[in-house]
Amino acid sequence: MLLALLLCYGGFTALCLSMDRHHADVLGRKPSARRRHVMKFGGWLLLGVSLWAAVCATGWGLGLVEWFAVLMLSALLLVLLLPYRPRLALSLAVLSLLASPVCAVLM
Amino acid sequence: MKEGFRQAMAWLHTWTGLIFGWLLFAIFLTGTLAYFKAEITHWMQPEIPARTLSSEASLTLAQDYLQQHAAGASRWLIDLPNAREPGLTLRWQQAPAEPGKRGQFTKKTLDPQTGTDVQGRETMGGDFFYRFHFQLQMPYPWGRWLSTIAAMVMFVALISGIITHKKIFKDFFTFRPRKGQRSWLDGHNAVGVLVLPFHLMITYSSLVIFMSMVMPASILAAYKGNAEAFFDELFPESNRPTAAGQPGQLIPLAPLLERARAQWPEGQAGSLSVNNPGDANASVVLERDGAEGVVHDFGRAVTFNGVTGELLSTTPALPVPMAIAGAFYGLHMGNFAGPVLRWLYFICGLAGTAMIGTGLVIWLGKRQLKHAKSGVMPFELRLVEVLNIASMSGLMVAVVAFFWANRLLPVGMAERANWEVNSFFIVWGLSVLHALLRRGRAAWVEQLALAAGLFCAVPVLNALTTPYHLGVSLVQGDWAMAGFDLTCLGSGLFLGWAAWKMQRAGRATSVPRARVRPVPLEREAT
Amino acid sequence: MKGKSSTLPVSYRLAVTSRVLAAVLGGYVVAALASVSLTLWLPMARAEAVVTGMMTSFLAYLVAVLWCFACRSAWQAWFGLIVPSVVLAAISGLAYWAGHP
Repeated sequence: MLLALLLCYGGFTALCLSMDRHHADVLGRKPSARRRHVMKFGGWLLLGVSLWAAVCATGWGLGLVEWFAVLMLSALLLVLLLPYRPRLALSLAVLSLLASPVCAVLM
Repeated sequence: MKEGFRQAMAWLHTWTGLIFGWLLFAIFLTGTLAYFKAEITHWMQPEIPARTLSSEASLTLAQDYLQQHAAGASRWLIDLPNAREPGLTLRWQQAPAEPGKRGQFTKKTLDPQTGTDVQGRETMGGDFFYRFHFQLQMPYPWGRWLSTIAAMVMFVALISGIITHKKIFKDFFTFRPRKGQRSWLDGHNAVGVLVLPFHLMITYSSLVIFMSMVMPASILAAYKGNAEAFFDELFPESNRPTAAGQPGQLIPLAPLLERARAQWPEGQAGSLSVNNPGDANASVVLERDGAEGVVHDFGRAVTFNGVTGELLSTTPALPVPMAIAGAFYGLHMGNFAGPVLRWLYFICGLAGTAMIGTGLVIWLGKRQLKHAKSGVMPFELRLVEVLNIASMSGLMVAVVAFFWANRLLPVGMAERANWEVNSFFIVWGLSVLHALLRRGRAAWVEQLALAAGLFCAVPVLNALTTPYHLGVSLVQGDWAMAGFDLTCLGSGLFLGWAAWKMQRAGRATSVPRARVRPVPLEREAT
Repeated sequence: MKGKSSTLPVSYRLAVTSRVLAAVLGGYVVAALASVSLTLWLPMARAEAVVTGMMTSFLAYLVAVLWCFACRSAWQAWFGLIVPSVVLAAISGLAYWAGHP
């Protein structure tokens, strides 16, 4: 579940940053068209990989349940952090993505 | 209503949300607590040690006990201990129930290590919240009807809410705190949209769970009025043989566990029922442990002849529609969830509760603004305000009062389980009175502060009244006990923060400042 | 419900009540008939068809309720429920009596 959580959080952060308003709030300026596309694509890709990670670990039944659970949790966490600690929200996303391959190998 | 689809849905969402919001808040809060009902029960009966033993050993103890105390019963029911519920629960029925009716049972919980009666204070434990959330303390079957009706209204409110929320994707990550009504709406949308898969699942599954009761038309049409035939087909092992009237020696039950395991690839028995023990027509039905898969395998049972041990029947693989219904049931109950997933269920449940609560606050807040200048609230709004306070902060005081009653009522007191429940309702009733007598904001602050104080004091209360306080439970690794104390503390801190915010907001609005403009409310439907 | 500090006309209240009744009672009838129609027509084992019919009935109930408040008048609400009810009743009846040769 941890790997799926890390990937979901990273994915949601990417999707969030692909939006003008949130990108401006966190990074101070609107994203370029290219960045927007990269973030959107990357975000969805990460969410997809997290689903794959969840299902690989515990099969389709439990895996889907766990994936939805971490999906909702990571979204809540991000939306709660964004207005209060945007830098922390972003750092956590970077950390999550860095930790993911480590997590994947260890589990 | 002539104004367009979204407007109509906004109207529907607003009114269904209000009328059923108070009830749904209570259902969601108690249902969320029910995810930890085993842990709550453990805290409320701290005398019962949390020890597990092998299923075979427990079953042998159970059989010996029942042979001694319930030899002439028509039916024995044995719930084997599992990780979360370490007690060995036995029930027996003296006389068989009339067909289609629920029978009378005697219930005992045994210590699985010693086989003797467990000596724990009489309490409903976490089961109180579990049962309340779908029976609402009403006589059978009215409570279930009301809660299922509430579930259908919840479904309508959810879908109409989704339709109304025009910027559901654009505002997906939007939460703007410290902006008054705008923040409440953002919060409502956040806990609604971000946790939507859970909300939709929990709502629709609650409809499916009671669908035979509320939507029996299909049963009656397909089975030509013979509903019993439908249930017999669904639960074949519930066909119990009638007693032969002749004595027959009941075989030892423990070896049957292994034989049942042979039938189930990765499963094991969670409970057994013995029909006609001691009779020639005895049968033993082993049911699978529900905590294994997500899909609750209805009717998955193995039946043995009680005298010869011969395998009588196994239920065939689950057909797809039953598997889907079983999935709804299993997902709703969450029995399969391990500790981490169980906490996630809990968090999602709290999010649902918060979604309803914020909705109620917004409903009133929007309309209160219009009457803020006159200082007098029309009757309808005052009614909503009282109901909001009593159903939310009042309910939380009632919950903690239930826990306090458990520790304060004498252990040997007669009917103490009922009195714990009475305490819950008495305190809830008092909170209604309090909300009627006090002005809105004052009532909120006082009730939230009271709940906060009582919750924070739970670990202290525990330490003063039992030897199982945090110092002991953390050291021994009794996570259920420690977790309960710590969660109460955390809840108390949160409620204290809420009370403080409420009080601050009250002071801010009572001092009019020229700079402060009322925040214009965006009309979501336009 | 936009800014109504004045009392609403009785006709409005009657219309709302009518829609609510249509949604609650009429909606249930539509849902039950949809459930029965599906159950009797699905080419599955009887118990399976019953379970499928019951599970999907709540979707029909939802659509019926949304219709009652989305349509332009209370009359339309009832009409929009009565017509499908008659059709579904006919479909169910056909299946029921076709099953008794």
